[in-house]
Amino acid sequence: MTKPESFITNGIRIDGRKPEEIRPITIEVGVLDRADGSCYIEHGLNKVLAAVYGPREVHPRHMQKPTTAIVRFRYNMASFSVEERKRPGPDRRSVEVSKVSREALEPVIFTEYFPKSSIDVFVEVLQADAGTRTVGINAASVALADAGIPMRGLVSACAVGKVDGELVLDLMKEEDNYGEADMPLAMTQTGEITLLQMDGNLTPEEFEKAIEMAQEGCKRIYEIQRNALIERYKRDIETEEEPLETPEEEPVEVETVVENEAEEETSEEVESE
Amino acid sequence: MSEKQRIVIPGDLVSRDPARRGDGTYVRDGSLYASLYGLVNEREKIRVVPLSGKYVPTRRDVVVGFVKEVTFSNWIVDIGSPYEGLLHVSEYPRRIELDEMSAHLGIGEAVLVEVKEVDPMMKVELTMRDRRLRVIRSGRIVEISPSKVPRLIGHGGSMISLIKGASDCSIVVGQNGRVWINGKGC
Amino acid sequence: MNDDVMNQLKKDYLYKLMLENKRADGRNFEEYREIEIQTDIIDKAEGSASIKLGNTYLVAGIKIQPGEPFPDTPDDGVIITNIELLPMASPIFEAGPPREDAVELARVIDRGIRESKAIDLKQLCITPGEKVWIIFIDIHVLNDGGNIMDAASLATTAALLKTKIPEKQYQLGNNNNDDKRLPIRNIPIATTATTLENTIILDPTNDEEQIAGTKLTIITNTNNTISAIQKSGREPLTPTQIQHITTLAKEQSQKLREKFLEV
Repeated sequence: MTKPESFITNGIRIDGRKPEEIRPITIEVGVLDRADGSCYIEHGLNKVLAAVYGPREVHPRHMQKPTTAIVRFRYNMASFSVEERKRPGPDRRSVEVSKVSREALEPVIFTEYFPKSSIDVFVEVLQADAGTRTVGINAASVALADAGIPMRGLVSACAVGKVDGELVLDLMKEEDNYGEADMPLAMTQTGEITLLQMDGNLTPEEFEKAIEMAQEGCKRIYEIQRNALIERYKRDIETEEEPLETPEEEPVEVETVVENEAEEETSEEVESE
Repeated sequence: MSEKQRIVIPGDLVSRDPARRGDGTYVRDGSLYASLYGLVNEREKIRVVPLSGKYVPTRRDVVVGFVKEVTFSNWIVDIGSPYEGLLHVSEYPRRIELDEMSAHLGIGEAVLVEVKEVDPMMKVELTMRDRRLRVIRSGRIVEISPSKVPRLIGHGGSMISLIKGASDCSIVVGQNGRVWINGKGC
Repeated sequence: MNDDVMNQLKKDYLYKLMLENKRADGRNFEEYREIEIQTDIIDKAEGSASIKLGNTYLVAGIKIQPGEPFPDTPDDGVIITNIELLPMASPIFEAGPPREDAVELARVIDRGIRESKAIDLKQLCITPGEKVWIIFIDIHVLNDGGNIMDAASLATTAALLKTKIPEKQYQLGNNNNDDKRLPIRNIPIATTATTLENTIILDPTNDEEQIAGTKLTIITNTNNTISAIQKSGREPLTPTQIQHITTLAKEQSQKLREKFLEV
């Protein structure tokens, strides 16, 4: 990869986008059958899979918290996801990304509903092209909802960067490699910022504008996330043969065993004693 | 009825009236929002009925469990939940000696049990001291999402009666989504 | 349900079915589940393929980079195979260093490719004794529905067949483009059989694997020779069982080869 001569020509970036435009995003919900919730996102050239297990028993047990669930987040890059093969397993970067991503999601999860348990989030980057941590957070947030985890709302994430001295939304690879700044941000629906990092060089004015741009990007991504979840449910409902029963308000009586059969089994057991 | 099936995701506004708060919702700034991904159920209270999610035990639930460990005086039972259940030897239908516990109920065996008590630390105590509860030694157990249990049972048991009639099987639906089916065809 | 202790009723059910010559998903004993392979799914890799074998879902990615040869084979390219049983793939897989079954899987896949001489390693020499192409095969298991071995083998072979050598990117070799394919001369395919008492089944699901006695993997080549064998599991096998499995493997791998790989 070589540095392009200019990143913006007549207001258009090298991949044809305007400065405030995000890359194309497709989201698929419920793609893995073993996991409790899952989501696959293609965001530009990024291909990212997220899976959620839990709430489940915590191993090792000493990590349990008596009054809340713990959230664990593992961000992992496939060895073949980047130009130069990455050594398998965690490195310092993925440990940091995992930490800040977990902290980006924790504020919206009602962890107090599940004391002593764990909610495990796994993000696998199959192909990386700048912004993988934000894509991972977006996928994880949808996968958490798919797993039926109670949440205050979704979290959406997006990065803003600077190339040719101009702020641009959602950096792609070349812009990330040769740009002057990169600032990933995650926020809740109500506008609270749950992840903020920056490296590079921004003036205070640029920083202020960058936050606004990132928030706009997050709002657009939120709509795509929401839509993917609604569409998946529609598909489920349409495949129901019977119209959905509206469940009763009061707890439903559990079916009881046919009485005489129960007696039979018990007497058998007594005989075998 | 189907036009009432509104799909919501966590964070969606479901009502301006926080007094109508039901399961699967929470109050923020005086309004009611969904905390779950599911279907809105509007009665007196507004609930969001999820289509996925783990079983959380509540007192008096009847559930199907699998024994995963036998300790000094307890069977530790997997009840398909983040929390394991404890079945004390004194909760077995008959009096048995401590050293005979495994012979009566061993690892991997299935039981139909009732949740006797859940404490705030989510210690779950189970009991088998009721006529309808027992060790399950025949038939099959299938698992569905616990959130779908009410639908399998239907209005006043209408759905489950229909299935039982058509299949000529005895069917017991555990609140934890494990369904015990017993009959000739199993 | 913890997968490590499978409930007895489920075991009994699968066992009973077996006695009636049936399987829980309706297949016969020698039938594979539906297979869906997609190649060239990762642009950043020199070769890639994903496979869905029933519910098993994994991705094989091939990276090729220049590097040093092994001292005992100074003129040969190098193959390095790695498989990741990701914790997202199953509630019983954990994060951390590779478990022994991941190491075993990777080594068997590696032997199948190496011993069949599927890749002409001599052609991957750039400067004898100094620089050769290194082929990194990385397999990421995303959902464990059983029989990861055969799925990994198929995906790897499918990916290798589409792999290109990045000569231009590294300014090496005489082709001034990145279109040169890997020199592939053989198509090794793994077939795994599992014993259930006296029965032998192919392509076990994860439920079947839990009640299975022992697995036997046979990797056969285009000309029907065998390039790798692995018995995995505690139960012993009889010579008759082994012969039977070898015959099955020959037939089965031929079918798979025709269907997916000889394009």
